[in-house]
Amino acid sequence: MHNELKITDMQTLESNKKNIEESTNPISLNLPDFTTDSYKDAYSRINAIVIEGEQEAHDNYISIATLIPNELEELTKLARMEMKHKKGFTACGRNLGVVADMEFAKKFFSKLHGNFQVALEKGNLTTCLLIQAILIEAFAISAYNVYIRVADPFAKKITEGVVKDEYLHLNYGQEWLKENLSTCKEELMEANKVNLPLIKKMLDEVADDASVLAMDREELMEEFMIAYQDTLMEIGLDNREIARMAMAAIV
Amino acid sequence: MFGLIGHSTSFEDAKRKASMLGFDHIADGDLDVWCTAPPQLVENVEVKSATGISIEGSYIDSCFVPEMLSRFKTARRKVLNAMELAQKKGINITALGGFTSIIFENFNLLQHKQIRNTSLEWERFTTGNTHTAWVICKQLEINAPRIGIDLKKATVAVIGATGDIGSAVCRWLINKTGISELLMVARQQEPLALLQKELDGGTVTSLNEALPQADIVVWVASMPKTIEIDTDNLKKPCLMIDGGYPKNLDEKFQGENIHVLKGGIVEFFNDIGWNMMELAEMQNPQREMFACFAEAMILEFEKCHTNFSWGRNNISLEKMEFIGAASLKHGFSAIGLDKHPKVLTV
Repeated sequence: MHNELKITDMQTLESNKKNIEESTNPISLNLPDFTTDSYKDAYSRINAIVIEGEQEAHDNYISIATLIPNELEELTKLARMEMKHKKGFTACGRNLGVVADMEFAKKFFSKLHGNFQVALEKGNLTTCLLIQAILIEAFAISAYNVYIRVADPFAKKITEGVVKDEYLHLNYGQEWLKENLSTCKEELMEANKVNLPLIKKMLDEVADDASVLAMDREELMEEFMIAYQDTLMEIGLDNREIARMAMAAIV
Repeated sequence: MFGLIGHSTSFEDAKRKASMLGFDHIADGDLDVWCTAPPQLVENVEVKSATGISIEGSYIDSCFVPEMLSRFKTARRKVLNAMELAQKKGINITALGGFTSIIFENFNLLQHKQIRNTSLEWERFTTGNTHTAWVICKQLEINAPRIGIDLKKATVAVIGATGDIGSAVCRWLINKTGISELLMVARQQEPLALLQKELDGGTVTSLNEALPQADIVVWVASMPKTIEIDTDNLKKPCLMIDGGYPKNLDEKFQGENIHVLKGGIVEFFNDIGWNMMELAEMQNPQREMFACFAEAMILEFEKCHTNFSWGRNNISLEKMEFIGAASLKHGFSAIGLDKHPKVLTV
């Protein structure tokens, strides 16, 4: 018998005791200080990305309507909603006394923007929907979900309202792709292979700024993968197909 | 519908299984990729009870692996995301398997009810601990006499006595079995004293003192890899019931007349036709499963859609009797020593 054997060694989770205490302590929510220069500096880029993202979404839905004119009304409604979101997020920056770095944001979206424009010119509706209705929407909703947990009270309220809307219209692109899956699957897969890696790069590019805002890179990526997987599942792809598509995010 | 939330026993194992299932995007990924992987609904299955009733269920892999235990935020997200998926799929009652319920309890996840646009409904989940506790007690009652231990004269040590399963086992042993003596061992002394008071019986002692006296040892706290126990000091014969997670007692106790039984495992009367228990490394994967998983099936068979096992120390004798009777009725039985002779040195 080993005398040093203690019952304290028995718990598999024992080594995490400190962590567990942290996790149950409400103060450990660790809201950042919204007034520091470093917070505002990071916020100037993140806020700009969000504002630009909503603008892009607005423009993209208007563009998509040119490819499916009978959906003009619905898509215009969507586009208008995105503009409302843009105004909300602009107010968030103003509330913190931050000037959004729009130049940075335009550059941030430029590749994805370029790919969307090329697809639009060619009339590749599937690619347009993948970029806007799946990738950008999932990117936005994942970022908002993480942000809500660490936002200042004003921005939290705005973002919660936006997320409610986003969950509504994530469905639009989904529905079209679901109905047309048999004819658009190949293009969807191809477009995904090109554009999903861009999203991954964009996430990596903002990871440092996001962490200043207490938004964890791992959590952002996970939220994105959940939203992305959910959408693909809704469209009617099976586990293996989704796995194959998600593969593009890690190579 | 019933649901089972499970996970792999190690990261290597998880990658191997992901590859088998065609989840190449995570099979090839490093631990960071797994930390960002969403839960996966791996399999749907139909199960027919011995009474003839059919139910449907799903197996969800949370993509948690034990290597993530030190990253509490990650572990917490894995559990909550898997629960959200189960609820979104409309599953009535889902069992939290493996480390899932331990994480839920220890990381105090009750305070995280809102997951994205889903408000988790706790009544849709069960730890399955009531059935696990009942199965462990039955395994003890049935198997001890088989190796020549007379329960009326037996000293039973429960290691991890104050836990949810441990305290339920103590309660049953004192009230239902007529064992000679109950030794209770646990990390925290205060709840142990309370338990002793509640039971009006049992002796509080240490692990070192308990082991040499015990004819039967019920382990409901997991064994760290580093401890070694001198089997010369154990009683012979000795029945060891490994009710912890992960199950690794048979590596520790090898010796003549030491009988190690995997605790809290049940066998169904018929083949189920699923792949999920192969993933859980059951020896007869078409029939065997963790008792906590079986609890979700039993509750679904009984249309008892409630968080039957929930919180700590809520397992009453009545609840154990209810789930035990339903377990037998629908075709489950506790696995015994005769099932897996290769892990025994008799």
